[in-house]
Parts: sequence; C-alpha cells; structure tokens
Amino acid sequence: MARLTKLLVANRGEIALRIIRSARLFGLKTVAVYSAADAKSAHVGAADEAIAIGPAEAAKSYLDIAAIIAAAKQSGADAIHPGYGFLSERPEFARAAADAQIVFVGPRPEVMAALGDKVAARRIAVAAGVPVVPGIETAEISAARAFAALAGYPILVKAAAGGGGRGMRIVAEAAQLESALEAAAREATAAFGDGRIFIEKYLAHPRHIEIQVLGDEHGALVALGERDCSIQRRYQKIIEESPAPGLSAEMRAKMIDAALKLARAAHYTNAGTTEFLVEGDNFYFLEVNARLQVEHPVTEMRFGCDLVCEQLRIASGGKVSEPAAPRGAAIECRINAEDPEHNFRPATGTVLHLSVPGGPGVRFDSHMTRGAEVTPWYDGLLGKLICYGPTREEARGRLVNALGEFALLGVTNNAAYLRDIVASEQFRDARISTHFIDQFFPEWKITNDEIDAATVAAAITAGDVQAENAAPKANTERRSPWDSLNNFELWGSRR
Amino acid sequence: MKLTRAGDSHEIDAEVILRDGSTIRVRIGDRELAAEFRPNADGGGVLAIDGRRYPVFGARRKESILVSVGPACFEFKPAEAAARRRARGLAAAEITAPMPGKVLKVLVRDGDLVEAGQPLVVIEAMKMETTLAAESAALVKHVRVEEGQTVDHGAVLIELSPPPASSGRESAPRAE
Repeated sequence: MARLTKLLVANRGEIALRIIRSARLFGLKTVAVYSAADAKSAHVGAADEAIAIGPAEAAKSYLDIAAIIAAAKQSGADAIHPGYGFLSERPEFARAAADAQIVFVGPRPEVMAALGDKVAARRIAVAAGVPVVPGIETAEISAARAFAALAGYPILVKAAAGGGGRGMRIVAEAAQLESALEAAAREATAAFGDGRIFIEKYLAHPRHIEIQVLGDEHGALVALGERDCSIQRRYQKIIEESPAPGLSAEMRAKMIDAALKLARAAHYTNAGTTEFLVEGDNFYFLEVNARLQVEHPVTEMRFGCDLVCEQLRIASGGKVSEPAAPRGAAIECRINAEDPEHNFRPATGTVLHLSVPGGPGVRFDSHMTRGAEVTPWYDGLLGKLICYGPTREEARGRLVNALGEFALLGVTNNAAYLRDIVASEQFRDARISTHFIDQFFPEWKITNDEIDAATVAAAITAGDVQAENAAPKANTERRSPWDSLNNFELWGSRR
Repeated sequence: MKLTRAGDSHEIDAEVILRDGSTIRVRIGDRELAAEFRPNADGGGVLAIDGRRYPVFGARRKESILVSVGPACFEFKPAEAAARRRARGLAAAEITAPMPGKVLKVLVRDGDLVEAGQPLVVIEAMKMETTLAAESAALVKHVRVEEGQTVDHGAVLIELSPPPASSGRESAPRAE
C-alpha cells in the first residue's frame, strides 16, 4: 500500500478548496497550483504550499501538463488530484503522472481513454449487457437514412469525442439529415480533432439520472445511489438531487446493477459516475464521467460519506468503504456568475459583499470571499448550495430559505433565478425532465416588488452623488448616504 | 434623478423625497413608496416595503450603483450621460469589450450603416459567446479588431459615428 504524504491539487475554485479540506483530514500535506489570475484565490491560501504555473489562459496554466508535473516534482508531491474539468479526464495527464512516479487520484489512463471515447464506451456497455439508446456507429448516409426510417425522426447526431452537449445536434426530418451529418463531422473535427460521428434515437422527454460508483484496486466495487440531474440549461446541469423523485426501487436496483456491470467490464477504479437517460420504464447508458462530479455533495449528504477521502483511500491502495444506508433527500443548485435576465451572459467583477446561508442541513461549497475577483478566464461557478432534509420537501424548503439568505454583491449571478425555480410548484411537484427549463422557465424576470426595493436603495445613493457633486470642496470627508440612517455604511466600497 | 438598469434602456425616474430616522419616502415615476430601513452590523440592512422585508446591500462604483435585494442582483447607471449622447443621435461612440476575451466574428465593415439592435461583434469569454449590438442607428466609422484577436476588458472594438440622416436630430431610437 502506497503511503501518500503530499497531494497536489491540479485545479482551482471551489473544487480545489473542497479537495484540500479532505486531503488535510486524510493526513496529507497539500499543494495548490495557480495561474496569474488566481494568485489571491481562496484555494491558494488554503493549501500548505502554492506554486504558480503560468498565465491566466487555462491552456498555459491549468491545462499545461508539463507545468503541473513540474510543480508536483518541485514540491515533492506524491499524488495528484485533478478535480473536475481541466485535465481530469485526459489519459495523457494520468500517464504523465505515472511516468513521474506520482499517484494519479482517478482511474487508470487506459480505462479513462476507453470510456472517454463515446463510441468505445457504448461498445463496452453493449458487451456488458447494459442498455444503450438505439443507434448506429456510422455517419454513412444510406445507413443513417435506414436507421432514421426505422427509429423515426427526430434523431440525434453526436460526436464520438464530444461531451456536455458539444458536437451534438437534433435532426428533425429526413431533408436535414445529410447536411446535419456533414456539419456535425466538420464541427467535431474542428472542436475535438476527431470527426467520428454516431447516431442515436432522440428521446422526447427523458430524465438524466446517474449512478455514483467507487472501485478499489482489490476488485471491490460499490454504488452510492443515484442523482437526478435532469434540470439543465443548454445541457449544463443547474439543479441536482438525490434520490431521483419517483424512481421505483426496482428501477433503481436495475440501474445500479447496470452501472456496476459496466464498471466491472471496464476494470474501473476510484470514483466514477455512469450517466443514464431514463424514459418511462426504460433506461439507457449515456456516458461515464471518469472523475469526481461537480454534484458529488448530493451523494455525500445522503450517505454521510466523504467521496474525496474515499478517492484518496483508494488511490493509496486502501479498500473502499462499505456505504451506509442512504437517508433523506439532498438537493444542490449551482450559483453561476451570469445574468439570468439577459440571456445568461457571463458576469465578472469583485465580490463586495457575501452573505452565506446557514442552518441545519445547509452546505455551501465555494471559493468566494469578500474581495474575490471573478475573472473571465474560467467557468463562472461561484459556488454550490446543497441542502439536506429528512424528506425532499424539507430539503427543498431549506434550499428556498438558504437561497433567500444568500447575497453576493458585485458579481451578477443566478441565485434569485434558482430560488424561483426551487420554490416553484413545478419543482415542488417534481415535474422533472431535461426540458424542465424550456417548459416552465423559458423566460425569467425578477419581480416588480424586488425592482422597487432595489430602486429605493439605488435612489438613496444617487441622491448622495448629486449632493457630493454640488458641493465637492466643502465636503472633504467622504459621507455615507446612510449617515442619516444611524451611520449605515452600506456603500462602503467605492471603486 | 433618472436611472437605468444595466442592459435595459427603460429609464426609471427615482427621487428620495424624505428621510427621517428609519423612514424613507421615494418617488418612482408617478408612484410614491414608503419604506422602513433597519441597518445591520454587516454593512447591509433590511428594507421593509408594504409589509415585505428585503435584505439589501449596496455599493457605489465610478459609473454605476450595485444593489442586491435578497439573492437578486441589480446594476443601475445614472441616465444623464447616455441621454446626452443620444441627443447627438448616437447612443455610444464606441463598442468596447465588456470583458477580456476572443473576437469570434466581426459582422460589419467600415462604412456600413447599422440599425439599433444590429449585431456588430461576437466575442467569446468564460466559454460563452456574447454578441455586442448597436445601441442606436449609426455609421461604422472604423472596425479596430479582427476575428481571432484576443482583447482586453474595455478595448475599443468598433468606432461609430452618427448616421448621416439623423445627425443633429433630437434622438434616435434605442434597442430594447
């Protein structure tokens, strides 16, 4: 058993912070890496040591394998945790770590390579007896026509190397088929350097449900229940929960069995997630995410476990823990730096104030602090708010309250939008599918009452601006607009 | 005091008409709102309007006022500057990058006449595409960037001048 002593976290943001916390619990020293844009970011200060690995561009820092391996060697780290995104599913990164005698916290590179290719993963699933969406592994036009005629339109054209909705298109009718295949291949070549395309039947109203799996090097495999991640916007998950509302015990058992069969067939080790589409009483394999998922806390809340500690135990040659029986319900939502009233355009800025919610069953995984800079260089995840409750309704109530307590001034974000979704009767009644947002929240606006409240607050400051402009010399001391309101220093930050 | 919400051309005419202890009266357009404000130690406070309570925070920046009401975020800008520019028949003389990023598409050329709301440039930042559009009718004076170019926050992408027909006129329509 490899005794690990020091872990390098090859990531940033909330997940780097979250990994550092568990690594410390596990008894490891921690090494953060950071780009020039992140020198003051929370994960840098949280680690025992920190190494600059390059400029703000991810391609020259967080995606630079050589720079990260060099940092690991320089710091004497004997293990690397990749987090999610960035290099987490790049087999060449896991290989580079192994070549440098550093333990990679994740599956073996060849397993990662096989599962990262959608066509190869599909074949493994079929061979393991796991149901897949009906489809064909070719983009040849006559075969595609024959398949589409059989399956019925619409059909889905996907890139073998794609993911997260990229390189995917829906073909509604026969007339679009040929041009769609060509365009998809062209896009896939441009985006992934791999133009291979496959075709699947399009499921009209699916849910997206995934199974968390852990496997150790001694051949033990366990599943930690499911997560329902159906609520997505442009193929990006925004709300995730466990258990999946309304999923029968029989379906759950079948899906867990399928996920374990697939993991066994792929010789999977460490943490991984098998994603399925579910429609009616059928479920279909979608893909394996060979890493820790963003939404893993949902599972941790229900199983009372620490998935990062499990990953570290497995990586050091230990045995996977037998999971406890799951309890209650947990719901997570992703707070992003984006403007939900303006087509979700990305937002940046400096955090001027942060109110973090609390109370029983409330968890906030975030790297945000007062003064934190949100730059345009990386994805805009500001934090994940996760609530546990003995029942789904109690978890939901806590999440509505927690979102109401949340405030982040300085970086426009989607927290109010999430609050309105979680508070809605459609979410309460779990009328969930991947079309939830299109169906129930195609347009979202803040309420007029809240605009009034904001206007009142803004008018007071604006009035103060006028007063200062009118008498700039007489008023040398900076006066707060709230002076007449018991010295309320609301507008403390003047930038 | 006229304010506009960022990203919205609709003007809000708001004015504080009374401040007395924790009582505030504000006129918004032709409505009058009575509010109570209780400050908190954290620098924010609770605003009560019509029996509803809102936790609020605010900060002033050089050209805007940021406010949060519960989890909701607001950015207001004083409307005077924009109104002055519009009076010259042009909402903005320059299209600038709202954030650092990469120019994906340039949709106009020097000398083009564009209408309010017409897309001019597509930039990519934070893995997202953002389309920048003309705020008013204008003549494209000079395109300063090329596709594929990386730009910093605030970089001038396109220079605009008033459209020939409307120069000197009172105001041009703005994009909604």
